[in-house]
Amino acid sequence: MTKKYHFEDFTPGRVWELEGPTVGKEEIVEFARRFDPQYFHVDERAAEDSPYGGLIASGWQTVGICMRLICDAYLLQTASLGSPGVNEVRWTKPVRPGDRLRMKMTVIEAKISRSKPDRGTVLHRWEVYNQHGDMVMHMEGYGMYARRPE
Amino acid sequence: MFKYYFEDFHPGWTFELGSRTLSAEDIIAFARQWDPQRYHTDEEQARASPYGGLIASGWQTACVGMRLMCDGYLNESACVGSPGIEEILFRKPVRPGDTLRFRSTATETRPSKTKPNRGTVTFTWEVINQVGEVVLSMIGTQLFLRRTAEAEGKG
Repeated sequence: MTKKYHFEDFTPGRVWELEGPTVGKEEIVEFARRFDPQYFHVDERAAEDSPYGGLIASGWQTVGICMRLICDAYLLQTASLGSPGVNEVRWTKPVRPGDRLRMKMTVIEAKISRSKPDRGTVLHRWEVYNQHGDMVMHMEGYGMYARRPE
Repeated sequence: MFKYYFEDFHPGWTFELGSRTLSAEDIIAFARQWDPQRYHTDEEQARASPYGGLIASGWQTACVGMRLMCDGYLNESACVGSPGIEEILFRKPVRPGDTLRFRSTATETRPSKTKPNRGTVTFTWEVINQVGEVVLSMIGTQLFLRRTAEAEGKG
């Protein structure tokens, strides 16, 4: 299957800016009930008495929202071979009901594999901001992409 | 009020719990919503991928671990969130029918310098399959209220 993007398209410094969704209260509670049912993610009343002073989204939901954004923006059209892992996830501010997220993805580094020269590893930095311009999350993640066929 | 506070964690503290079996339907449903890459959503295309079959999104494996942690002890703890994760390694593919369990090991505890009612604990979190292989590992930190701070109310 021909893909639009290959390893060669991820040059250090390349940036994708992606508009994300507004995160609703119901989605926060629904996600957290399934995956991260801590009281400040699932119980509005109890969350008011938490250090956050109200309901906040699971950090994993913010990650999921970003993953979906990059899938739709380019990853599904990329000759992706998976990811070995992620470095340094930081949840720097809470995401609250009604927050509108956007994300900036920057290519940090791209290296051709020594053992498998048909592919390379790309290090990406994700930065996620809310509608006030505050950074709510950042992380660095690796993707493995096939090189463009000659 | 809670069973576990900052003081209850010490380097070497460990908790092993689980289990959760992921079906092909579970894998596809998660991926359709959050990570619709072909080897997570389409069995036929997955067979032609380097993985040779359907595999779970690594984020699903992380979420399974998170849920097992909540059910195992976190929801009985005075946890007030996580500043972040140092490292996540997707070590092995998770395939339909795999049964996952979760192991949490505390490696370091530090009382907060600025907020004396809490402290930070660093953990190694591992998701392990039915044959004992670690499929995902993470090094992460969480904040816990101190037992002595409980009477003071809000963090």
